[in-house]
Amino acid sequence: MRLDCLFLIKYGEIALKGGNRKFFLNRLKSNIKNQLKGIHSKIIIKWGRIYLYVDAQDEKFTDMTLGRVLGIISYSRALRISKNIEEIKKTAVNIARENKGLNFKIEARRQDKTFQYNSYNIACIVGEEVLKNIPRLKVNLYNPDWVINIEIREQTYIYSKEKKGPGGLPAGCSGKGLLLLSGGIDSPVAGYLMARRGLAVNSVYFHTYPYTSEKALEKVKDLHKILSGYLPYSKLFIINFTEVQLEIKKQANPNEITLLSRACMMKIASIIAQNNNFSCLITGESLGQVASQTIESLSFTNSQAGLSVIRPLIGMDKEEIILIAKKIGTFDTSIQPFADCCTIFAPEHPLIRPELGQITESFNSLKIGNKLPDAAENAEIISY
Amino acid sequence: MIYLDWAASSLPDINLLKQSGNIYSKYYANPSAVHREGQNAFDFLNKCRKNISELLGCKDNEIIFTSGGTESNNIIINSVLKKAVKKYSKPPHVIISGLEHASVYNSAKALSDFGIEVSIVNPLKSGFISPETVRENLKENTILVSVILISNETGAVQPVKEISETVKEYSRNTGRNIRFHTDAVQAFGKIYFKPDELGIDTASFSAHKIGGPRGVGALYIKNGCNINPLYCGGNQEMGIRPGTENLPGIYSFSLVCNDILPLVHDNHQKAKKLMNIITEELTSMDRAEIIPYGRITETEKFSPYILKASFPPVPGEVLVRVLQDRGICISTGSACVSRKKNRQRILFSMGIDETTAYSSVRISTGHSTTEEDIYKFVKILKEELYVLRKVTGK
Repeated sequence: MRLDCLFLIKYGEIALKGGNRKFFLNRLKSNIKNQLKGIHSKIIIKWGRIYLYVDAQDEKFTDMTLGRVLGIISYSRALRISKNIEEIKKTAVNIARENKGLNFKIEARRQDKTFQYNSYNIACIVGEEVLKNIPRLKVNLYNPDWVINIEIREQTYIYSKEKKGPGGLPAGCSGKGLLLLSGGIDSPVAGYLMARRGLAVNSVYFHTYPYTSEKALEKVKDLHKILSGYLPYSKLFIINFTEVQLEIKKQANPNEITLLSRACMMKIASIIAQNNNFSCLITGESLGQVASQTIESLSFTNSQAGLSVIRPLIGMDKEEIILIAKKIGTFDTSIQPFADCCTIFAPEHPLIRPELGQITESFNSLKIGNKLPDAAENAEIISY
Repeated sequence: MIYLDWAASSLPDINLLKQSGNIYSKYYANPSAVHREGQNAFDFLNKCRKNISELLGCKDNEIIFTSGGTESNNIIINSVLKKAVKKYSKPPHVIISGLEHASVYNSAKALSDFGIEVSIVNPLKSGFISPETVRENLKENTILVSVILISNETGAVQPVKEISETVKEYSRNTGRNIRFHTDAVQAFGKIYFKPDELGIDTASFSAHKIGGPRGVGALYIKNGCNINPLYCGGNQEMGIRPGTENLPGIYSFSLVCNDILPLVHDNHQKAKKLMNIITEELTSMDRAEIIPYGRITETEKFSPYILKASFPPVPGEVLVRVLQDRGICISTGSACVSRKKNRQRILFSMGIDETTAYSSVRISTGHSTTEEDIYKFVKILKEELYVLRKVTGK
C-alpha cells in the first residue's frame, strides 16, 4: 500500500467559482473518493490542481474511473521528481520514447521562482535533450502530436498524455433531481447532461409487465448502471405501472391515452421527488420528436408535475442526442429491441395538440383513487 | 411447467444424455488418430453413423455429422459459392421458399452479395409452396432449389416430393443438374420419410428437436452429390465438415434416434389426437384464428406437432409472458429470430396481415406431451385471454 502512482487532475468551471470554490472542490474530492470505491488513495488539492495518489496496482482502475468523474476537465498519469534539471531531462526523454508521433512540444511552468531556469529556458533545455536522444522527432509549437508538461513547484511534476474528463460540475453540488428514465436513447442523455451540471440524478422507470417484457426492465437497469458510473450515489425507482395503465385504457378516450399516461407518470414521479427531497424532474423530451412532445402536450404534462421539469434535450436534434449517447456509452444498450410500451396502449391517432382545459378535465375525471400514491409508495428501489 | 415449445427445442431425454458421459472416458481419443484408441473411437463413430442411416433408410456414407440444422443448411447454401466461382461464367441462380428457416433464408440472401441471383418463392395463402411456381422460377442458370419440408412456423408439410419431381424433370429436359435441398429439421422423427423416396439430394437434421443434445445434427447427402465444405480443415466427415467429431453428442443423437424413429407412426397418431383437442377448442373460441385457416379441414397436410394461432389484438409476446407466469411455455415466432419484423417474415410471405401476425403464437408439442398438458393449456389460455381482453377493453 504505497501510494506510488500519481494522477494530476485539472478542473474547469470550478475555478470560476469565487467564494464557493471550496464547496465545489470538496464535493469533487468526495466524489472522486466515492467513485474510486474505497481503494487506498490520498488527495491533495493545491495550486489549482488535484493530486491523486493511489497504489500502482490500482492505476488502470483509477484511469478508467477518472474519465467518468464529473467536474474533471482533464487528468494525466504524472511523475513527481526532484528539481534537479538532469533528472528532469532524463525523465522527459523516457516519456518521449513512449509517446507516438513525431511532432512534440514542451510546456513548462515555474511556480517556484527560486528555480534557476525560467519557464522558457526549461522548455528549451528539455526540448534539446529530447531531440538529442531521439533525433527523428521535431518540435512543433502549433500542432504537436504530444506535449510534455513540466511544473516546477515544491517538487517537479511532469506529465504527458492528458486525457479528457467529462467536464461540468461535480455531481450533487447543484442539488438532487429525478429522471424519468425509459429504455430509449433520449432519457439517459438527458440524465447525463443534468448530472454534468452538478445535479445528483436519480431515476424512475414505469414498468408495465406483462405488457412489456422483463428484458425491457433489464435494459433500463443496465442504462441506469451506466449513468451511475458518473454519479457516486444514484437510486433507480421501479414503478409497477400496469394497474394505472389499464385503468387509463379502460376509462379514457383512446386518443388521450398517451398523454394521460404521461401525466400520471409525472404525478407519481412528483410524489417520489417530494418524498425524497428531489428538487426537480428531468425528462428526455425533445420538441416535436413524437406526438406527446408538442408544446401543447408538454404544457399539459408540465401542469401535472408540481415541481420544476427540466428538459435538457428540448432544442436538440436526434443526431446530436445520438452522438452524446454514443459518447457516454448508453447508445448500444438503448437500441436493444425491448419496447417499453405495448401496442395495446398506443392509440392509432394520438392527440397531438390538446386543449389544456379539456385534457386537464379528462385527467381530473379519471377515477384512479389512490393508485398513483400507492404506485409511488410501492416502488422497488435499486441503489448503485 | 407445461412445455409447448418443442419446435424450438425438445425436452431432453436426460437418461439417454447421461449415457453419453460414459463415452468420454471410453472413447476419449481423436477418431482421426492412427493409434488403436483413435481407431476405436473412429469405429464407434461409424457405428453411430450406420445406426442412424439404417433408421433413416439411407447408406451410411450419406450421413455427415454437423453441429445442427443451421450448420447443415449453411454447408449446402454456401457450397454454391465455390461452384459459382469455379464452374459458371454466368452468375448462378438459387431458389428458396419464403418459408425457410433463418439459417437458409439469411445465408441464401447473403449469396447475393457475391453476385449470385436468389429468387424467393412465396407460399400461397394456404401456407404451401406450389410446384408450379417453383417451375416458373427455374432458369438456365439455376443450380440449387431449397424448400423446407415442414414449416417451423405453421407446421405445413410442403409438397417436397412433387417439387423435387418438377425440378428433376426440368433438369432432364435441359440437361442440367439442379440440386434439391430440404431443411428436414422439423420433420425428422416427426413424420415418416425416406430421403430417396422424397427425391431430394440433401437434407438437414437436428438432434435437439427430438430429445437429443444441442450442438449435434446431420446432413444427408445423396451418393454422387458433390458438396463443397463450408470451411477448411482436416478430412473428417469426408472433408465436408472438418473438425474433431463430437463423439459423445453423436452417440446421444444415435441413442435418441433409436428411441424415436421406430415410434414415428405411434407418436404421430398421439400428436394428432392432441392437436385435434387444441384445434377443436380454438375453433370454438371467439376471436381465435388458426393460421392458415385451411388446416382445420386439411389436417393431413400439416404436422400435428406444430400449430400457429392468433388471438388479435392481444400481442403474441404479451400472451407468451402471461402464460409463462401460469407455468406454460409457448412461443411467438421462430426462436432463432430476435427482431420483431423479421420474426413475422414467414407469416407476411403468406399474406397474413400485420395485426394477425403480431398477435400470433406458436404451440408445438413433442412425444412426451400429454392430454392432461393440453387440457390444462387450453383452460389457462381461455382464462388468460378473457382477463387480457377484459382489462384492455378489447
